[in-house]
Amino acid sequence: MTKYVLKRVGMALATLLIIIFLLFVLVRIMPGNPFPAERMNDQQIANKRAEMGLDDPIPVQFFNYMVKLLHGDFGNGTSLYNGAPIKTVLSTCVANSFRIGGMAVLLGTIVGLLLGICAALNRGRFLDGFCTVVSILGVCVPSYVFLIFLQYNFAYKLPLLPYFFDSTKFLKSSVVPVVSMSLFTMSTIARFTRNEMVEVIDSDYVRLAESKGLYGGSLVRRHVLRNALIPIVTVLAPLVVDLLTGALVVEKIYGINGIGKLMVDAIAGEGVDYNYVLALGILYSSLYIGIMLVVDILYGALDPRIRVAAKGGADE
Amino acid sequence: MKKWIALGLFAVMLFTCLGAFAEDQYLSVMLSTNVMSLDTNLATDGESFEVIADCIDGLTQMDADGAAIPAIAESYDISEDGKTYTFHLRDAQWQNGTPVTANDFVFAWRRICQEAGEYAYLFDSSVGCVKGADAIIYEGADPTTLGVSAPDEKTFVVELEVPVSFFPSLMYFPTFYPINEEFYNSLEAGTYGTSPETFLANGAFVLESYTPGTANLTVKKNETYWDADRVQLPGIKYQVVGSSDNALTAFKTGALNVVTISGNQVASAEKDAALSQNLKVTGAGYLWYLTFSQTENNAQGGMLANANLRLAISNALDREALVEDYVMDGSLDTYTAVPPQFAASATTGEDFSADQERFADVCGYNPEKAVEYFDAAVAELGVDTFTFTMIYGNNEGDEVAKVAQAIKSQIEETLPNITINLQPMTKAERIDKMQNDNYDVALTRWGPDYADPMTYLGMWITDNSNNYGFWSNAEYDQLIADCTTGAYISDYDARWAAMYDAETLVMQEAVIAPLYTKANANLISAGVEGIEFHPVALNRVYKNTTLQ
Amino acid sequence: MKKPVLACEPSNYTPVAGDFELLEQQDIQTDKNFASQGYWKGVAIHFSRNRRAMVGLVIVVLMILLAVFGPMISGYRYDEIVSALNAKGRKKAAVGISPRIPAIHEFVTGSPYDDIYADKTFLFGTDDLGRDLWTRTWYGARVSLLIAFVTILIDMIIGMSYGLLSGYFGGRVDNVMQRFVEIANSIPRLVIVSVLAIFMPKGIGLVIVALLLTEWIGMSKIARAEMLKMKEQEYVLASRTLGASNTHIIFKEILPNTIGPIITQVMFSIPTAIFTEAFLSFVGVGIVLPQCSIGTLIEDGFNNITTLPYQILPPIAVLALLMLGFNFIGDGLREALAPKLEDM
Repeated sequence: MTKYVLKRVGMALATLLIIIFLLFVLVRIMPGNPFPAERMNDQQIANKRAEMGLDDPIPVQFFNYMVKLLHGDFGNGTSLYNGAPIKTVLSTCVANSFRIGGMAVLLGTIVGLLLGICAALNRGRFLDGFCTVVSILGVCVPSYVFLIFLQYNFAYKLPLLPYFFDSTKFLKSSVVPVVSMSLFTMSTIARFTRNEMVEVIDSDYVRLAESKGLYGGSLVRRHVLRNALIPIVTVLAPLVVDLLTGALVVEKIYGINGIGKLMVDAIAGEGVDYNYVLALGILYSSLYIGIMLVVDILYGALDPRIRVAAKGGADE
Repeated sequence: MKKWIALGLFAVMLFTCLGAFAEDQYLSVMLSTNVMSLDTNLATDGESFEVIADCIDGLTQMDADGAAIPAIAESYDISEDGKTYTFHLRDAQWQNGTPVTANDFVFAWRRICQEAGEYAYLFDSSVGCVKGADAIIYEGADPTTLGVSAPDEKTFVVELEVPVSFFPSLMYFPTFYPINEEFYNSLEAGTYGTSPETFLANGAFVLESYTPGTANLTVKKNETYWDADRVQLPGIKYQVVGSSDNALTAFKTGALNVVTISGNQVASAEKDAALSQNLKVTGAGYLWYLTFSQTENNAQGGMLANANLRLAISNALDREALVEDYVMDGSLDTYTAVPPQFAASATTGEDFSADQERFADVCGYNPEKAVEYFDAAVAELGVDTFTFTMIYGNNEGDEVAKVAQAIKSQIEETLPNITINLQPMTKAERIDKMQNDNYDVALTRWGPDYADPMTYLGMWITDNSNNYGFWSNAEYDQLIADCTTGAYISDYDARWAAMYDAETLVMQEAVIAPLYTKANANLISAGVEGIEFHPVALNRVYKNTTLQ
Repeated sequence: MKKPVLACEPSNYTPVAGDFELLEQQDIQTDKNFASQGYWKGVAIHFSRNRRAMVGLVIVVLMILLAVFGPMISGYRYDEIVSALNAKGRKKAAVGISPRIPAIHEFVTGSPYDDIYADKTFLFGTDDLGRDLWTRTWYGARVSLLIAFVTILIDMIIGMSYGLLSGYFGGRVDNVMQRFVEIANSIPRLVIVSVLAIFMPKGIGLVIVALLLTEWIGMSKIARAEMLKMKEQEYVLASRTLGASNTHIIFKEILPNTIGPIITQVMFSIPTAIFTEAFLSFVGVGIVLPQCSIGTLIEDGFNNITTLPYQILPPIAVLALLMLGFNFIGDGLREALAPKLEDM
């Protein structure tokens, strides 16, 4: 197992290098200016480009960038929040997004699982239909519409919560964004749980377990849920990455200084900020690769017959 | 049990009261976008300038009408030839207790010219005409050659290449603000202005909380400000608000005292008896206009180089409909290249563009005339159907996409042989395309940087980087040169008249099609008095503001 | 002791070819009960007996019909700015009018509307430019339906095959394929699409290419996970022992058993794709204004969500109804296709 994990981490670093290189080249091909400047003339812009080393051949630029990166330095932005080292901007954004996103993941997963289980156990009855409608609404209505709904009702009509995000009242002002961001995850998890459990409940081995006299909670836990968890973990993984890396409109409306808005500002804000795009790309892909590794390991834990590391059918 | 409930309730009440006391005295104000930078060299947006001006005083400051009144400079002398300004500084101090000296200005000005940021052009020979600025900004000359000096701690001398009539009013623009050299050099490179600890104020407020990219920041009253008695507000809490709709609700909840709304929210506030009392429309200064590429690279091989075709388009636009039906925030439909309400004559006091009928024969909503111009263009060009792409920014305000679609519809209705395709993009990309001459028609805007018509007219001289149409007219270039560095610089009224002549050339050829002058529809809580709104330089000033 | 004589005791007899008779291929299939019905026919019968599935089908067909004919019955074009002359004699656009049917209003209140648009019918009201929202909603539904069907195809063809193959072959193949997914997923979509926009005209085509690039990833992960779970099961082993080909095992043996999660995943990727299209359109690489889609209408309506809430309701309702229909169909298909749930 340790050997497998080490091997995967090694591969992850190689993958990351490829991703960084691709991103490095692609942002430079993208239309858009790293120094948007309405009031500068060509000479000034040329000087700035030379100063930032953007006129060097791309391999040289890439090498310089990687050397800096290995020293833990993301560099400075080219256009976004000029001059501020990326690290200072990113640290606040990451802190906010990870905390809010993390809570949204937890809330969405737990409520989603519960809702899904209840629906599956009451198949065909009211609760099942209710669960279906809720999960369809949860994916059809964007999270920012829920956000407005919550903000309007619980910060305006009933002034219980802060109207805008305020990092000094973190917990209280996280309620609105966390709930609205968790709804998509909740709906997805609820639906998958319900559908998977229905299939498992109908399977022969659960019938067998039932006939052996297993009922209720222990049956659900030991047999049904465990077997239904594999697709649930699979869909949850990318949702976790998405939630941790923020939600653009939610951040914009609720005034959260987070990663989602930062990413869009970096690509489509005042200009294309090469260094921010790269820094955020590295952050996102590290998260994604890491979580995929965890998922592959989880498969083995959930169903001992699965060995991701092993070769498949064809060569056996 | 009852005891616990009572205790709980008491605790909740206590918290609520504490919360109320801690915050309520600060004025809470909406920002439309993030503050991009608090470094005067890097700041380019109105939001940043506003916060910088809260915290730092320049040589002069704006009064309620936008005129320059003394700030750090107690008084100034102008030499006979109008080329040397000697500013006498008052006893003011930075928030860390060190006095504000002439050297703070020398250091800041040299730094701006050396780093050659976006607003460094205010020093060059097109605007401020500070001696030696061009060579430093554009050719990398030694910054110590800049024509500024500090004969003693309290005297700051500026030498100009030519007399500049509006020079004192330039001094309230944040680019000309001082920075304490010792403090600046004590910071790690690149960190100036990125936190309250790395920013030094000498103005009405000091920075209380700020990180780059933050959606909210606060400034609090500076007790050691030289004019501290005048400042009534204990502090200001700024909040970035993402949409006009959300701004309206935030105002209704009382979460914000001052918000800017647009479009349908203005219409709904006007209908509401209570809200309409709080509504205040102020000029924002920006002129929105259409610019046409006149080179062969674009518009079907340079079709828009034809003046009649441009005039046809300009006469097909119903500007009144644009502002009343779509923008809705009190913006003014505009028919002059220099927008109204920001530059008044020093001798007569009359607004440069008060008369909006001046170009009525070439600019206005006139469908018959548009068709006539179009027919003339068809005869000259030998082509009778045109398809142009119009670019516009998708991050420049909610109303821009609406206006773009309305323009498309208006042009196509009046001139069925012209098809306009819309292409949204970021503002940065739009400017990039315009500067590199890679567009047909663009919906663009320009805000006045200083209170003189030249802030607009200077754009259309040959080879100016903001002359997006690449229009070139020798007569025009000569007129502008005479106004900035030549014959008219010492004769105010002659210069004013020459600028009208220059504007006429722009309008008769429809180099641009002016659309509307942006206004802001503000909602201000009852009890908040004395916020000074300006279309130029600093949008909002809070030095005389009171909050009850 | 005398040995009993067994019937099968080896004898000196040598078998000859004539002892055996080769059967024709079709005669091998012995299970006449189910074979006679045909797999797909069975699915169809089972599906049509499912009431919820039929409701879903009706909803989706209704939506398609409205998308096709809806814009025609309003009398307005989707990009037409409806206006009327105001008191000053200027053509004033009917901006932000709430839903109205003059006849009903007059019937209920006894008097016509007292504004200049009194004679105009707007079933869903008008948008910020004075265009009829009914027309635009159904016009937008066309674009979004196209996106929905393209997404289903992308998921079912690319995503499913990719995941099934990656999971089935495992080992090095899986490793390479999964690393590719990580790379494809890690480049921000906006960056890829902006680069593509240099080579391609902007519009719905570009949106579809963008979806082709990354939209299948979620599905491939699900298909792979199911394959990992299924391929170790006894029936697969049995099939393999019998010498079945890889293609047969993957698509005939395992796929029908994994159809449940695959259909659920398709249902969830549709709204995501519809909102992706809206985002791409907003940044200027998707459909071009004044065209619209359900996604862009929701974004536009969001600008006035508390002041003119009726603007955001129609597109959200259409999307929700469409998804309800798709989900009912999906559930029906799942039950019809998955052998486990079938009461044979």
